[in-house]
Amino acid sequence: MTETNGKLRYVPTTCPYCGVGCGLNLVVNDGKLVGVEPLKRSPVNEGKLCPKGATCWEFVQSPDRLTKPLIKKNGKFEEATWDEAYDLIASKFKETYEKYGPKSLGFQVSCRTPNEECYIMQKLARVAFKTNNIDNCARICHGPSVAGLSLSFGSGAATNPFEDVLNADVIFLIGSNPIEAHPLAGRRLVQAKKAGKKIIVCDPRYTPTARLADEYVRYNPSTNIALINSIMYWIIQENLHDAEFIEKRTTGFEDLKKTVENYADVESITGVPTERVKEIARIYAGAKNAVVIYCLGITELTTGTDNVRSLGNLSMLTGNVGRPGTGVNPLRGQNNVQGACDMGAYPNVFSGYQKCEDDATRKRMEELWGVTGLEKEYGVTLTEQITQCGDPIRAMYIFALNPVVSYPDSNHVMRSLEKLDFLVVQDIFMTETAKYADVILPGASFAEKDGTFTSGERRINRIRKAVETPGDAREDWQIFVDLAHKLGLAGFDFNSPEDIWNDVRRVTPSMSGISYARMEKPESVHWPCPAEDHPGTPILHREKFSSADGLGHFFGLEHRPPAEVADAEYPFTLMTGRLLFHYHTRTQTDRAKLLHHEVPAGFVQINTDDAARMNIRNGEKIKLTSRRGEVETLAKVTDQVAPGVLMMTMHFGDAAANKLTNTALDPLSKMPELKHSAVKVEKITGVQ
Amino acid sequence: MAAKGDMVYAWTTSPDIAKVAECGGAVTGLLKFALENKIVDAVLAVKKGVDLYDAVPTIITDPAEIGQTAGSLHCGTLLISKLVKKYLDGAGDMRIGVTVKGCDAMGLYELAKRNQVNLDNLLLIGVNCGGSVSPVSARKMIREKFGVDPDSVVKEEIDKGQFIIVTKDGQHKGISMDELEDEGFGRRSNCRRCKMKVPRQADLACGNWGVIGDKAGKATFVEVCSEKGANLLDAAVKAGAVATEPANPKGIEIRGKVENAMLKLGDKWRARYFEGLGEGKERLEKIMEDTSRCIKCYACIENCPICYCVDCSTKKTYLVPPGELPVPFMFHLIRFAHISDSCVNCGQCEENCPMEIANSLYMHSLQTDMERMFGHTPGVNMDLPILALVEEKAERERLSATGSDQIFNVFE
Repeated sequence: MTETNGKLRYVPTTCPYCGVGCGLNLVVNDGKLVGVEPLKRSPVNEGKLCPKGATCWEFVQSPDRLTKPLIKKNGKFEEATWDEAYDLIASKFKETYEKYGPKSLGFQVSCRTPNEECYIMQKLARVAFKTNNIDNCARICHGPSVAGLSLSFGSGAATNPFEDVLNADVIFLIGSNPIEAHPLAGRRLVQAKKAGKKIIVCDPRYTPTARLADEYVRYNPSTNIALINSIMYWIIQENLHDAEFIEKRTTGFEDLKKTVENYADVESITGVPTERVKEIARIYAGAKNAVVIYCLGITELTTGTDNVRSLGNLSMLTGNVGRPGTGVNPLRGQNNVQGACDMGAYPNVFSGYQKCEDDATRKRMEELWGVTGLEKEYGVTLTEQITQCGDPIRAMYIFALNPVVSYPDSNHVMRSLEKLDFLVVQDIFMTETAKYADVILPGASFAEKDGTFTSGERRINRIRKAVETPGDAREDWQIFVDLAHKLGLAGFDFNSPEDIWNDVRRVTPSMSGISYARMEKPESVHWPCPAEDHPGTPILHREKFSSADGLGHFFGLEHRPPAEVADAEYPFTLMTGRLLFHYHTRTQTDRAKLLHHEVPAGFVQINTDDAARMNIRNGEKIKLTSRRGEVETLAKVTDQVAPGVLMMTMHFGDAAANKLTNTALDPLSKMPELKHSAVKVEKITGVQ
Repeated sequence: MAAKGDMVYAWTTSPDIAKVAECGGAVTGLLKFALENKIVDAVLAVKKGVDLYDAVPTIITDPAEIGQTAGSLHCGTLLISKLVKKYLDGAGDMRIGVTVKGCDAMGLYELAKRNQVNLDNLLLIGVNCGGSVSPVSARKMIREKFGVDPDSVVKEEIDKGQFIIVTKDGQHKGISMDELEDEGFGRRSNCRRCKMKVPRQADLACGNWGVIGDKAGKATFVEVCSEKGANLLDAAVKAGAVATEPANPKGIEIRGKVENAMLKLGDKWRARYFEGLGEGKERLEKIMEDTSRCIKCYACIENCPICYCVDCSTKKTYLVPPGELPVPFMFHLIRFAHISDSCVNCGQCEENCPMEIANSLYMHSLQTDMERMFGHTPGVNMDLPILALVEEKAERERLSATGSDQIFNVFE
């Protein structure tokens, strides 16, 4: 081989942050990571990276990495051998299962872990403990997309690739800020703008993405259905809908038409004047090809699934599905949020969205896995598992998640975790959550293992091992293989992530054609891909929809206010969001020097008029209180948010937005209302 | 004995290298000879990755492996110079043979002026470069303009003003660069403006321009550019690793014509790009508008062969408040102030920019203005750049505090 002296070894891999799936090279000198260099061959990002991707190697070699298994004894963590840790976990889980049954266990997996690990964890939970209590954190980002798009189109994934926006004439973004949250998808918008395409951005906040827009529409937080219904009302009213498409390819139009009749004027709800709604309706419906892009501004609400379905309605109404330059595309926030769901780390489906409730599917899976008695019933979802801690869930396994910071109502999460008899946390750092564990297992970062991430455009990208894990830390897939062997399970004789992937292919028809060999080139393959000679499917729903009847489904959906709205006592609406410079709970990004330099501490955006009225200065520490908790954080005085509206990011555990957020759930997807809660703002006395 | 200024046809005597190399394989043969005879400890060159669109830099210490780096990849748009500084300790304690394009050589000279690489430890084998094409754009161009599946292409080359591909089934297809570039394909924009086609600041400048007669396609045109280069060539000839003959005078003339034609083309593109920018306030407004999309990935700084400061001014909070979007224009002003006298137009700041900001165009336009005003040409020799006014005491303290940042002794 070429690496004779161990210097300047390039390892092509995939960025561990958002769901765009950018390619990059890790540079290795003498077995150590020394940097990231552009992978110009990648069709996704052509070597270009955002600040997070460019610095993604730094946390890997942090001295804070967990390097030994830890077992809590008398309230203190003590180093243990792998065998001691495995034995304890195996015996506790077995004991709990035997005593209290499958409902007494909970399994949670992070969307930042590779497909192979999501798959093996759900297989272990289902095979060993016959439980469907397995979920991933898509639940709190794009669960409503999976639910909503499945109902509308028959498949819960993005319909078109990122680059395809260049084929659109109009790009309609709502509740999405890709320039910060998905910068290399944002780049496609910049390219589209340069090519003269029209960009509409609807957002309560004037974001860096809104700055790119030809048409920026500010609307009141969480009034999506009213706004979209009104746009649809005017499209129908002005006869701009695609009658032929509706007739041939959809069902339910009459229901929609009837519902939107009451939405001619929604200014009192949305704050958007009717004339403005009409303009937007004409621009969107007037385009030959128009694409809808959305993100968590749509999903993280108790109306999440209906918001998503509304966007399905809008695109079908104008015939904008199933061709280049059209479609409905959720931008996925984590590197493998698409994959974690695809792999069946989900309470009601096996890999490839094969339904557990379906008897024939279960029988087939039992045969393929060589087991009996797989669970039929819908398991308990992510945040519901937290609520069930203590009763009936007694033992929980959390893989690479940090619920104490990232789930709604942090105080509730902490109280719940304390109620567990036994908690395992498998991670790379001592997180706020790991402190509650009985056993901590040190896993591997993305740079220390092989595997695959499935990006938001359903492209399955390879990650490649560049360096060894630190200390005694182990590759996570190996940990599950070891545990399966401790539990005496058959069907876990995997010697590599590729072995596991081949098991995925064996049981998952929609991915069976995608081998590691086909993923060697960075184009890789977009699923569905049912055979080795199938080219993959970059654009869904071309001839017919993926639903059982092959049709797209319209739904007449009514506006509903959020679970908790501002009132006299809590007069501000708090939204949450993300920053360009950080990722999730910052366990990785804050360990990159540059990113810490850019944003070292949390803050809240508050409108200039509100700040003036309350005599709050820019940079002043203020107190925010909701019905669930309080935080102190720095005020950032800005006109990016409207009066009465605040925005905090989800990243900072020490100024935790989630101490304030609401656990109220979307009934269809169980998404908590992270984007909308009522708070009050106070100056901190004695502090100038 | 070879001497600076000599021009010869050279070719490898190794049948193994001849099999994998192009145009006589002199470059590969010389690098192998240098490794075998411990003239260098390692070779830094580019090899093919997953396919011919994927150029991967690599360090080779085993002479038997040198064949991996034979041949040229026009879809590689790497800059080698910064890698020497970032990952190879600036060749501080290792002698490295490096194949360099014009921009690579210019970048190494600029880094050497700033004490970031040790030129004494570098053996530079220059290769003529008419420009390179970004890999993803090349694949698109082959699919859309050539009507060919890019995965079926086994060879690409740029010759006689054409981009030429050869497919698996042996078909040749060429389209003129002018036509491709008028439609937005073809070479990177900085390559179009480039006027460093024969890197004579390397130790040897090699290429296929001007190889005619029975040696056409079978030998490399080598111009000796330094004593180090002469010594290498002499030793390799003496040892029988490469063979040479004097270049055909007609061939020398043809090589000159090709080079001149490329330079003229460079002038044409410069005029087109720079005129499009306008002048004065108009240009400034254009730059401010375009750079306002910046998302501070720092790729322009990371990949710039001029940037080297540990203590980068763009991170001083009183100059550029951190975390703010849109990024204050001062960020870009600092870049312009610090780089523009020395910009070598390598293009990295533009092709690595996630927000499609034409960074390289702006910097290059400033550089050519300054070159006109002050007569300083960066990247061609060790002449120091035009220096901005600094406050001596503060500057000395600042540099001393970094522990590693250096500056030419400007205070004499």
